Amino acid sequence: MTDLSSHSARSHLKRRNRHQTMIKGFGMAAIGFAALMLFILVASLVSSGYKAFTQTHITVEVFVDPAEIKVDRLPRGGFDDVLLASLKTYFPDVSGRADEKALEGIISNGAQFALRDRIVADPSLIGQSVTVTVPVSDPFDQLAKGLVKRDTPEAQRRVSDREIGWFDTLDRADAISQPVNWGLITNTDSRFPELAGLKGALMGSFWALLVCFVISFPLGIGAAIYLEEFAPRNRLSDFIEVNINNLAAVPSVVFGLLALAVFIGWMGLPRSAPLVGGMTLALMTLPTIIIATRAALKAVPPSIREAALGVGASRHQVVFGHVLPLAMPGILTGTIIGLAQALGETAPLLLIGMNAFITSAPDTPFDSATALPTQIFIWADSPERGFVSRTSAAILVLLTFLITMNAIAIYLRSKFERKW
Amino acid sequence: MYDAPTPESPVTTETMKFSARNVHVFYNEAEAIKGVDVDILDKTVTAFIGPSGCGKSTFLRCLNRMNDTIAICRVTGDIRLDGQDIYDRSIDPVQLRAKVGMVFQKPNPFPKSIYDNVAYGPRIHGLANTRADLDGIVEKSLRRAALWDEVKDRLDTPGTGLSGGQQQRLCIARAVATQPEVLLMDEPCSALDPIATAQVEELIDELRQEYSVVIVTHSMQQAARVSQKTAFFHLGHLVEFGETSHIFTNPTDERTESYITGRIG
Repeated sequence: MTDLSSHSARSHLKRRNRHQTMIKGFGMAAIGFAALMLFILVASLVSSGYKAFTQTHITVEVFVDPAEIKVDRLPRGGFDDVLLASLKTYFPDVSGRADEKALEGIISNGAQFALRDRIVADPSLIGQSVTVTVPVSDPFDQLAKGLVKRDTPEAQRRVSDREIGWFDTLDRADAISQPVNWGLITNTDSRFPELAGLKGALMGSFWALLVCFVISFPLGIGAAIYLEEFAPRNRLSDFIEVNINNLAAVPSVVFGLLALAVFIGWMGLPRSAPLVGGMTLALMTLPTIIIATRAALKAVPPSIREAALGVGASRHQVVFGHVLPLAMPGILTGTIIGLAQALGETAPLLLIGMNAFITSAPDTPFDSATALPTQIFIWADSPERGFVSRTSAAILVLLTFLITMNAIAIYLRSKFERKW
Repeated sequence: MYDAPTPESPVTTETMKFSARNVHVFYNEAEAIKGVDVDILDKTVTAFIGPSGCGKSTFLRCLNRMNDTIAICRVTGDIRLDGQDIYDRSIDPVQLRAKVGMVFQKPNPFPKSIYDNVAYGPRIHGLANTRADLDGIVEKSLRRAALWDEVKDRLDTPGTGLSGGQQQRLCIARAVATQPEVLLMDEPCSALDPIATAQVEELIDELRQEYSVVIVTHSMQQAARVSQKTAFFHLGHLVEFGETSHIFTNPTDERTESYITGRIG
C-alpha cells in the first residue's frame, strides 16, 4: 500500500479534487446558461405579448334610427351610419365625408357587425337607444397602449394629431376602457387585429390532436406490444425496429409532403382540414409512442412475467393482465409528450394548407381550419402593428398548453409509478 | 447460523413423479446441461445443489418448461411427468405450469391485493365457479403457506406491502392455489433473513405431505435440513444423486465431497 501522506499521493489527490470542482463548475454553468436562455425567451414573449391580453374598447350610446335601420332589410346595413351618428354627438362640428370617415375610423370595422347581430337577434331594439361596447380600431388600440408614441412626427404615425385629440376627448368622457381581451380566445381570425382571436386555431388544434390520438394511440401501443412481446427476433424485426427509430428522426416537413401526396392527392381528403392534419401528425407521433411504449414494457421487471407464467398464465394473459397495466403510466407519459410535440408542429400543417385565412371555427374535423402554430405563423406574417403583440400572446397560449400537457405527464408518472 | 442435524426422515414413497432421461439443454451453441438422468419421487423433497452456473436452475426450469420463454434455449432428451412426455406436441405448457407450480428466487408478488395474488391462478384456470369457492381456495392456500393468520384481516391490502418472508410465503400460496402436483422452488430463501428462512423451510417440510417438492439451493445446510433426496450438479453434469443423508455423510464422487466440504464452489 502506498503512503497516503507522501508528496505524490497528496498531489494526486489535489489534482483529482481540482478535476471534480471543474466538472461541477462546467455543469452548473451549462444549467445556468440554459436557464438564462429560457428566462430571456419567456421574458421577451411576455413583455411583447402581455398587451394583447387587454383590448381597448369604446362605449357609446347608439340611437338605432328607424330611418336608417329597416327591419325587413337588416342584412343590408346602415349600422356604420348609426355608429357614426352616435360619435358625432361628441363632435358636432365634424362634417364632410372625409372627416366623417376619419372619425368613424376610431371604431373597429367589425363593430357594425356586432351591432347588427344584436339587432337581428332582437329587432324590437329599432327605434330605441342601446349602449354598445366595441373594440376601437388597431391604431387607436396601439395609441392607448402607448405603442404609438405621441412624440413621433405626425407624418410617421398612423394617427393624426386631430384623431389623437378626438380620442383624448372620448377618453376624458370615460368612453374608453381597457378590459381583459377575451376576444383573443373567443374570436376567430380576422384581418383586423383588434378582432382577431384564436378560437378557430384552438378548435383546429383540438380536432387535429383528437384525430392524431385516436389513430396513433391504439396503433402505436399495438405495434409496440407485438414487437416487444410477440415478434420473433430475426432480421425482419430488427429491420423494422431500425426503421421505426429512423422514422422518429425524419424531418416533419417530409411527413407533410407525404400527407399532401397521399391523403389529399391520392385519397382526395379535404384540404386544410384538421382530419388530414391529425392524420399527418399521427404519422409523426406513432414512432414516439411506439418507442415510449416499448421502453415502458421493457421496464416491467421480468419477475412479474415469470410469476404470471409460473402459475400458468398464457402469453397474452401475461401481457394484458400484468405487463400492460404496469407499463401504462410510462405509455401515457410517452403519449402525452408525443401529442405535445404534435401540438407544436408547424411544417407539415403548412404543406396541407392549414395556414389558410379562415374566419370561422371548425365544427367538425372536416371543416377548414388553422392550428395554433400555423395561426402564429400567419399572424407573424401580417403587417399590422396589432399582430405583433398578438403573435407573442398566441405563442404564450401555445406554451401554456404545452406546459400543461407536460405537467399532466409528470403528474401521471409520479402518481402511478410503482416500486418493486 | 441455523444448523440443524441432518434429518433422518425416510423417503415415504416410491411413486415416481418426474423421470428425466438424457436431458441436454443448449443456449445457442453452449451446452448448459450435458445429459442428465434423474427420477423425482412423489411426496418427497428433492434438493439440487452445486456451484453457481452448474445448471441446476436451468434443469429445474425444464421441468415446467419455463425455458420455452427464452428464445435461444433448446431442450433435448426425455422428461416425463407421470409417464407423459412434457415436451410432447400435445402438451400445452400453460396447463403444465398449473400442474407444476414454481416459486422464484426473489419474492415476486403481483402488485395487486393479497387476495388477488392467490386468486389469480384459480381464476385463469377456471378452478372456482363462485365467489365462495374462490374464497375457499384462497383461504386454504394461504393456510397451507402458513400465512393465513397473519393476513386474514387485510386480504385487500397490496401483496407488495408484506415483509420479504411473508411475500415469499404469499408466492408459495399463489403456487399451491392452482392445485399443482409438483412445486419447483428456485432458491426460495436466498433473499430472506434467517427467521423467514426457517419459516419457509418448516413450510416446505409440511408441503411434502401433499406435493413433490424440488428445491434449488445454494445452502448445503438447507439442503440437508429440508430434503430427502439430493442431486449434486457440476458443470452441467449430474454428478451424484441419492439419499440426502448419504450424499452428505458418505459421498461416492470426489467432486461431491470437495463441494460439500467447501473446497470447490
